[in-house]
Amino acid sequence: MKRSKHGYIVLSGLVFLLIALFELGPLLWMGLTSLKPAGTEFRIPVKIVPENPTLENYAVVTQGNFQVQRSIRNSLIVSGTAMLGTLLLSSLAAFAMARSRFRYKKSAFFSIQAAGLVPPIIVIAPTFVLLRSWGLLGTLGAMILPHIAYGVPLATLLIASFFAGIPIEMDEAARIDGAGSLRIFLQILLPVLRPALFSAGVLSFLGSWGDFMHALTVTLGLPAVQTVPVAILSFSSAFQLQWTWIAAGVILSVLPVVVLVVLFQRYLIDGLTSGALS
Amino acid sequence: MFLVPALCALTLFYYYPFLQSALYSLFSLEYSTDWLQAPFIGLQNYRRVLSSPEFWQSLRFTILFTIGAVILDMSIGMLLAQATFWIHPMFRVILRTIIIIPWAIPRVIQASIWRWMLNSEVGVIGVLLVRFGITDSPPLFLGEPRLALLSIILAYVWKGASIAAVFLMAGLASVPKELQDAARIDGAGSVRRLFSITIPVMLPIIVIAVLFRTRDALRVFDVIIGLTGGGPGNATESLSTYAYRIYFDFNNYGIGSAYAVIIFIAVAVLSIVYIKRFLERFEFVK
Repeated sequence: MKRSKHGYIVLSGLVFLLIALFELGPLLWMGLTSLKPAGTEFRIPVKIVPENPTLENYAVVTQGNFQVQRSIRNSLIVSGTAMLGTLLLSSLAAFAMARSRFRYKKSAFFSIQAAGLVPPIIVIAPTFVLLRSWGLLGTLGAMILPHIAYGVPLATLLIASFFAGIPIEMDEAARIDGAGSLRIFLQILLPVLRPALFSAGVLSFLGSWGDFMHALTVTLGLPAVQTVPVAILSFSSAFQLQWTWIAAGVILSVLPVVVLVVLFQRYLIDGLTSGALS
Repeated sequence: MFLVPALCALTLFYYYPFLQSALYSLFSLEYSTDWLQAPFIGLQNYRRVLSSPEFWQSLRFTILFTIGAVILDMSIGMLLAQATFWIHPMFRVILRTIIIIPWAIPRVIQASIWRWMLNSEVGVIGVLLVRFGITDSPPLFLGEPRLALLSIILAYVWKGASIAAVFLMAGLASVPKELQDAARIDGAGSVRRLFSITIPVMLPIIVIAVLFRTRDALRVFDVIIGLTGGGPGNATESLSTYAYRIYFDFNNYGIGSAYAVIIFIAVAVLSIVYIKRFLERFEFVK
């Protein structure tokens, strides 16, 4: 018995390592490449572990023309603002979905959700034209505003289904005490909704952070407003074969979201499990 | 009333541009977006799209890609999800965290990572293949159409499997443990239990996960731009990358929009299934 228990732990460890290699191996390889002195990444035979590790690649990508920190800052501003906007619109919409009865509720719900099914390629050109007519091209606003809308379908779904699980007696008690709808929403329900807001927030943040097609189109190639995905791609084409630099840029730009996911992994998994799939 | 802001935002950035595209597609718009001044040409843009070999090439690529990607997303996702339940509890939380890390990495960046790993001279995958004696020299992963397709699928699935795994973890949690135990006592092996209990019980969630993964795969854009740029030639051009090229490289909004509308019609079928099977289950809209 004891022996088979040990066997189970050892086997578990092996499975764990195998999966970790699959999931983190690519990042590890990027990390190792980023520590190699520039130019040595093409030496044959290939050294997996760098012989003279160096941090100079990180110095290159954070100074001069390619300031990866600038695109990280842009991404943080865009995704953070868009996330707050999405949460605001979605929690209000979810409140209406879960708490009130009105005639066109079903069609309202479907029209919110159906928006999420529209392929990005079909809206990209008119959106570009619209933002151009507002004079927003080449600004962070050209990403923030559409990203708010892009996050709404999923966030509304998550928050509304969590909402539906909160007993209506809570609202009624407050209503008897004379609180209005908005007050009930802000003071009573919002705190209870925290887990759903967290997971909807993280998901809309990640959605905005990862957006490429739209960001590529509206930033017009201006480095000053590029977000992380666009910047890394222009890095890759500008540096051509300088993979140690690209690797350093990738590692730096991936770091913030990896930290985010590690911190909020519980909300991510719980949010999706209890919300969208219950 | 609380719905108004959300509906306005969606109208502005989804429904209005959607209808606008449908309108663009009926006009001859080259180097112009001023459709009110452009000649109305009915369905000619559609005819041109449907008679161009590039359209059929990108459609074929997208379908092959989607089939491969969804199958691998789902099966690797299932293995990953199963592993988080099977593994010794001391590894469980950290394993789940590791599994969702690829999820957080933007697709374009993921493509950059894999482009380096698949480098035909010093990429780690080629090097390992040679070292284990599977090939004599590292293959030209991105230079040959069929290998390029496989490489794109591989890079894509790295993230897609993580997303599928999270869905399936939720599904596995919903399979009653008593059912599993009862089957084990009856002598059913683990493969048998997977196919005759686990999968049937969690079928609704599997269907939703497949729908989501198919939807994403049909939209494939970022990974291709980052990994092959559509090459070699235009062998790995997908519906979305080619439509994007027509819009912003060839500046033809009319044809580009016709292309996009055709993509939409193809995806619409999927959307109807999604709405029927998924959205109608929510109690609060009834």
